[in-house]
Amino acid sequence: MSHINSEMSRAVKSTETVRNIKKYIPSFYDRGQRRQLPETQLVWNMLGTGAEILRAFDLVGEWPENYGTLCAAQKVAMGFCQEAEAEGYSNELCSYVRNTLGYLRRCRDSGEVPPEAPLDGMGNPNLLLGSALICEPRYKWFQAIGTHFLNVPQFNDDPVSPPYDADLEDPRLAEHYKTQIRATLLAQISFLEQQTGKKLDMGRFSEIMKNSQEAMKYWYRVLELRKAVPCPMGSEDYFTAIIPFLYLAGDREAVDFYQDLYTEIKDRVDRGIGVIPEEKYRFGWLGIPPWFNMGLFNYLQTLGAVVCVESTYYVGQPVEVDLPDPLENLVERTWKTAQYKQKQGSEINPDICNPGVFSPGVGAGLVKRWVFEYKLDGAIGHRTRSCRATSMGQLHVKNKLAEIDVPMLIFESDMVDPRAWADAQVKMRFQGFLETIDARRSKKFS
Amino acid sequence: MDTLKGLARAKELYLDRRKRVKELKAQGKKVLGYVCLFAPPEIMAAAGILPYRLRGDLKEPITKAHDFVEPFGCPYIRNLFDQDLKGNYDFLDGLIMSHSCDMVQRLYGIWTLNTRPSFKYFVNVPHTLTPWSKEFFKRELIFFREKIENFSGNKISNDQLQKTIKEYNTSRALLRKLYSLRKENPPLLSGTEGLQVLVAGMGLPVEEFNNLLQEVIEEVMSRGQGPPKKTARLMLYGSVCDDLSLIQLIEEGDACVVIDDTCIGTRSFRHDLPETPDPMDGLVTAYFDSFLCPRTDRGPGSARFRYIADLAKEYKADGLIMYIYSYCDPHKFDAPDVSMSLRKEGLPSLILDDDYSLTNLASIRTRIQAFIELLS
Ligand code: SF4
Ligand code: SF4
Repeated sequence: MSHINSEMSRAVKSTETVRNIKKYIPSFYDRGQRRQLPETQLVWNMLGTGAEILRAFDLVGEWPENYGTLCAAQKVAMGFCQEAEAEGYSNELCSYVRNTLGYLRRCRDSGEVPPEAPLDGMGNPNLLLGSALICEPRYKWFQAIGTHFLNVPQFNDDPVSPPYDADLEDPRLAEHYKTQIRATLLAQISFLEQQTGKKLDMGRFSEIMKNSQEAMKYWYRVLELRKAVPCPMGSEDYFTAIIPFLYLAGDREAVDFYQDLYTEIKDRVDRGIGVIPEEKYRFGWLGIPPWFNMGLFNYLQTLGAVVCVESTYYVGQPVEVDLPDPLENLVERTWKTAQYKQKQGSEINPDICNPGVFSPGVGAGLVKRWVFEYKLDGAIGHRTRSCRATSMGQLHVKNKLAEIDVPMLIFESDMVDPRAWADAQVKMRFQGFLETIDARRSKKFS
Repeated sequence: MDTLKGLARAKELYLDRRKRVKELKAQGKKVLGYVCLFAPPEIMAAAGILPYRLRGDLKEPITKAHDFVEPFGCPYIRNLFDQDLKGNYDFLDGLIMSHSCDMVQRLYGIWTLNTRPSFKYFVNVPHTLTPWSKEFFKRELIFFREKIENFSGNKISNDQLQKTIKEYNTSRALLRKLYSLRKENPPLLSGTEGLQVLVAGMGLPVEEFNNLLQEVIEEVMSRGQGPPKKTARLMLYGSVCDDLSLIQLIEEGDACVVIDDTCIGTRSFRHDLPETPDPMDGLVTAYFDSFLCPRTDRGPGSARFRYIADLAKEYKADGLIMYIYSYCDPHKFDAPDVSMSLRKEGLPSLILDDDYSLTNLASIRTRIQAFIELLS
């Protein structure tokens, strides 16, 4: 095996645009400097609360989840996780959270930013903007921060998702959920107005939302182009290419990035260029990747396997809504997206009333459809021990795929905590999985 | 009907709650299984249904659920699902779940798609204690009420609901009275006996439970010989504790459990359900505002745990045992904060992590013994 296959390696990206992402979104990478500017307010923010809102209030954001991925990639997350455990937090708890709590404990106990902290640390937030969406750890996280480390104002939004069997076409139910989405959004805005002393400029917000929609359109087109054989872009690029829409939705830079990525991928498809010269296996991916070892995707490629589509952070087809009031527009768009996602069979995925465009997973029905659309040989599920939210339901998807005779491999580790990683074991399981697929193929053709 | 009374009857019901339910079913009563109080039993009872709170079977290893749900979710809820897969809830007419915690929410689809109950419903619950979230929950309860009306064929009038709430409040008052007998030293009622009564109540019509509570209170107050005096008085904290094993283990040693803060314990009856002109308002207050489950976001700070120290002091507990299930995010996140806030009050605590099987009984016993020694 080549050096690429070594334990815990970083990913080698395939596309020019993703390799150059730092040039497209300097504001994301130099946020450490930007928050030093006078009058700047720093908000620690959760995925799903809507980057557009931050933009509209000129807030500088820091995302503890993203910081977890950074610390993992730079191999310092384990130390922070252990610090959190020393504070009494169980090692079963979300490793993004443990990473933040451990980092804060170090800051508190030593009075300074730990020297190994990437990007000079996370800064001292003026506000915490959390979310009760997706999973309990997300609001428990800020609750713990507020209790143990930082006494700053905080707000958690609370968009509630309907169960899989609710009749979302029922107008009364629609109003019931939309009322909640609207109320929590308005409350978030009024919290930010109070804290920043600024009024939300609706004209500007409309512009930001337009940019965000445009970026999403290009991004979705990129995802659609990945249906091509050979696949023009794999997960090693995807999991970096998500950064603009997760953290900078609404910025012009995000539009430029996705537009250029689209052009590059379109060109690849037109010329029949794939991620690897000889594509033997195509997979769908479920779950958060192991951020400390993104080279895993390159390893798969050495075996001839490409991951063509991912359930985590999948955006789905952007829903077109055109209401004059930008907030109502957002509410309506959120609701229509929820309806769309429910139709895809979101039996376990609760995250469907999410004003930020973020999903920790998609429905089993959609994954089944992907098998045909993306011509998949199977699926790979990363069962992250400390994140129940994106792991639970993978078995359900596996069972659903079995109904159409499509195999799925579920392997276990973690998104941030490398202690959960067993390199030889994981690789053996991948190899075994590919052998099963080979065996199935020869059976089919014999 | 059985002829046993009081504590003996509670014990009999603890050992087999299903027997009584089956009798009632034979008399034509509809029975709905429910997982958690966020789907208020009062609404079901007001429609003439028997709300049957599902109970785990700690001694039954999970075998079937593994095929449908990942191993590292809440072991308690997986145990319930496993039992349903094995047909242990066949006598139920339907299943009611709620967004108690994410684990329950996520399992709803997997559970109901693989067991296909004849009737199923999910009560949604927001996480933040804001006025709009309360309004949302109220609308959810209104929908739930309608759904139950359709299912039962009985319209639930406000009068009927208020009457039922009164009956449930009687239970709450009787339970508080029964618990207060544990303030004595030695307590007049052991933790083991107390839990048997609670579990018995999870599957009885409210009037029948109230009669049982009356009998138990009279028996306990009049009996000569109660539990013996022990060195340590303990409080039990955690989510669902519906099996005697742990409390028995504690009480076999030199300690007694005198008070709890658990889902089926004081959390559910510490306060009355407010009897409001619109009964739905009282239900919202009882089950959203005042129901102190860590799944609800009550903001930062440790003031939210003040009530635990207050209860411990009221019952003269010397320390707290936190019995927390593996992978239970709500409780595990709170655990360090609870310990911290109790430490400030001079109350030591011990965290026991269990996968709802108590298979590591020997090590748990040793830890409890060491904790009791520390207290003495
Ligand atoms: S979804 Fe998973 S990774 Fe994200 S915050 Fe929740 S538990 Fe952590
Ligand atoms: S024990 Fe915890 S995870 Fe399990 S049902 Fe209760 S609150 Fe949820």
